[in-house]
Amino acid sequence: MIRRKLSLAAAVVTVTAMSLTACSGGEAPAADLATVSIMAPFLEAQPPSADGAVQKKLEELTGKDVNIMWAPNASYEDKTNITLASSEIPHVMVIQGKTPGFVKNAEAGAFWDLTDKLEDYPNLKTSFPDIQQNASINGKVYGVFRGRAPMRAAVMFRQDWMDKLGLEAPKTTEDLYKVAKAFTEQDPDGNGQDDTWGITIPKWGALGSNSPYDLIEEWYGAGNRWTEKDGKLIPSFETEEFLEANRFVKKMVDEKLINPDFATFDPTKWNEPFFNGKGGIIVDVDSRVSVLINLFKQADPNNFENKVGFVGNLEGPDGELHAHPTDGYSGFLAIPKSSVRTEAELDKVLEFLNTMNGKEVAILLNNGIEGVNFTVEDGKAASIKPETEESKAVTTDIKSYAQLGMNVGGNTFYPVKQPTDYEQQVFDKRTEVMAEDLKSAVYNPAAPYVSATYVSKGAQLDNIVADARIKYLAGQIDEQGLKDAIKLWNTSGGDKVKEEINKLWQDNK
Amino acid sequence: MSQLTDALASNIGHGQGPGTDTGKSSKPRKPPKVPRGKFSVHFAHYKWLYLLLLPGVVYFAVFRYAPMYGVSIAFKDYVPFLGVNGSPWVGTQHFQDFFSNPDFPRLLGNTLILAFLNLGIAFPLTIVLALLLNEVRLSILKRTVQTLVYIPHFLSWTIVASLSFLLFALDFGPLFLFLNSVMGTNIDFLSDPNWFRPLIVLQEIWKNTGWGTIIFLAALATVDQDQYEAAIIDGAGRFRRVWHITLPGIRSTIIVMLILAIGQMLNTGFEQIYLMTNALNRSVADVFDTYVYFVGITQGAYSYSTAVGLFKSLVGIVLIFGTNALAKRFNQSGLF
Repeated sequence: MIRRKLSLAAAVVTVTAMSLTACSGGEAPAADLATVSIMAPFLEAQPPSADGAVQKKLEELTGKDVNIMWAPNASYEDKTNITLASSEIPHVMVIQGKTPGFVKNAEAGAFWDLTDKLEDYPNLKTSFPDIQQNASINGKVYGVFRGRAPMRAAVMFRQDWMDKLGLEAPKTTEDLYKVAKAFTEQDPDGNGQDDTWGITIPKWGALGSNSPYDLIEEWYGAGNRWTEKDGKLIPSFETEEFLEANRFVKKMVDEKLINPDFATFDPTKWNEPFFNGKGGIIVDVDSRVSVLINLFKQADPNNFENKVGFVGNLEGPDGELHAHPTDGYSGFLAIPKSSVRTEAELDKVLEFLNTMNGKEVAILLNNGIEGVNFTVEDGKAASIKPETEESKAVTTDIKSYAQLGMNVGGNTFYPVKQPTDYEQQVFDKRTEVMAEDLKSAVYNPAAPYVSATYVSKGAQLDNIVADARIKYLAGQIDEQGLKDAIKLWNTSGGDKVKEEINKLWQDNK
Repeated sequence: MSQLTDALASNIGHGQGPGTDTGKSSKPRKPPKVPRGKFSVHFAHYKWLYLLLLPGVVYFAVFRYAPMYGVSIAFKDYVPFLGVNGSPWVGTQHFQDFFSNPDFPRLLGNTLILAFLNLGIAFPLTIVLALLLNEVRLSILKRTVQTLVYIPHFLSWTIVASLSFLLFALDFGPLFLFLNSVMGTNIDFLSDPNWFRPLIVLQEIWKNTGWGTIIFLAALATVDQDQYEAAIIDGAGRFRRVWHITLPGIRSTIIVMLILAIGQMLNTGFEQIYLMTNALNRSVADVFDTYVYFVGITQGAYSYSTAVGLFKSLVGIVLIFGTNALAKRFNQSGLF
């Protein structure tokens, strides 16, 4: 009896194991590539369903079975590394950036070098070669980059407070100080209490992460991560302007124009002080303007206009505009060598990506399905109201599918039509301001270069300076302490990073 | 509860191997006769017991021992694409890098200080709380308090950290206002490096002290009631009874729990510390666990962080054996 039970148990175990292997056993290597598998992150609570309308339409437009392996955004990088170490590797992987993990894998030969390949495909040939260069590893292009707006920095403020105090929108960093001071000291909400401050900054320390500190430093002329000085590249924190900018921020901290808990304030609550009338200024990306307007709109749909004002980048004390651009891309779609083995297969995958980058698919991935969730009005995509179950599903799904969009030749999909005239005005003004600022953008000259030392300990090195910056602003250390930390950065390996970056820069010039 | 108590009591009394038993056990139980000689005879005699053992052995082999193969990446320069076998062998390179790293003394110091604070403050408090609960005579009150002090254990560290952030929030947190008005200061507890450790220990106490009492309460239930009666007749007060009967009665449990706690000592708790760290207190907050996460996961230095983790485990083993040896030297029964 017992023996029979045991053998039954053994059988169950075997069957389960077999079915598991059946699940994970890769697809047959198809020379004609009937199925394309893609690994991509999703940012919503749930990944899109595999039989949704968007998925069906995507397969129809590309003529392939598209098998997307969605992985949660928060653990995407771990998942990338685990996938690369496994035997089940997709044809295309969305890679979110030049992380040390990716660089190591790429340099070990995990991905196809596409540097000379992309030219041959009309939709993969970029009209922004600089951005493609930024996304490369020392000039080698390992993927089709996902284009993003290169100019996003903005200062947003409570317009109603500005009107009440009779202030003008800031143009320079000095103006920013004046507005912050007035917001702090002149009771802009008119409740008779000293309970407001100027700028709200959340816990956000890392260097070169487009933080408010990075923005102000760049506006002061410190440069964007790296700065050319006397024919050499130096990290922007070794410039005099970096110290000046931080003296400026420290002055605002000392005069309580910045929230005192800036070192610990939860970034997910960033909008709250602005919305609740505590801190009247936020320095961040311009898309936050719309987020803030929406908050006011939800609270009072009849009275939300003129609550939020914004300007783009600010002029520094030298009277010049050093606008802060992003690197212009958010990761890339790379093709692993272990799943795509031959050049012939690679061509097939690139052809598929070429189709993915065409206008039709771009509209599907970013706007949705025309007639289901949007209609085209004066060249803009207007969402269909009221929402149906079907349109809702499409609108939700494309938030994830947009992660597959590359748009290396600029956006070919429709701009989104804003729900009200006021919001449309703000949106158009944003586009205009950002386009204007882009002309004064100061780029990171070292963006394409990856130094070996930086890969192995860059994050620890940068933390030395990033923490010192916050400590200096909080008054835990003085300016000498900040300078000492920069010296420590150099002696702990930073001087080697500088050497390597400069060599790469000289070689590729 | 009483079953657990019995099991525990018998475990403590008879659980040691030959030679370590100090002869304290009051109820000598003769072991069944073991047939000596051929293994097959021995095996045939105990086949059902071996069968019972099998799932445990399989579990440890599959889920605890097999993954140790992965530890080999501590001696390699691991690149996921190349796999564990394909990555180049670098020997003890990562260990050398770690020990010569300027971060090393700071990490070791922070980890040890937090570990000893937890061990020196949180651990005795557990015993004190168990003793206090044991003295409560009103059963319903005792049970209610017990339940209440267990609850925090089931909250995740994320919730504990959020609560702390609310309570100690700058300028409006109730505890921020209260403590600063009592001390006449204006301290931001959340970012002041001097307050990081007290905050961590406080959270640890709040969350886990109640839960930790379970084992001690079980041990307390086994203390011979006759001894208390005798002591009362002799005129011993409550503290005398606790000191001379209760504490010696649960001494072996305390030793066992202490050895286990010391083995876990360097696991300062990643989540808790990670959540409470910020740029201003990082100098005292960085411990091995957060460092491994930071270097290994966010920077992709898998080999290096595995080496750090391995070093931590070795220290843990040394501590367990060390404490166990000490416990035996002082004529206590050790763990093994």
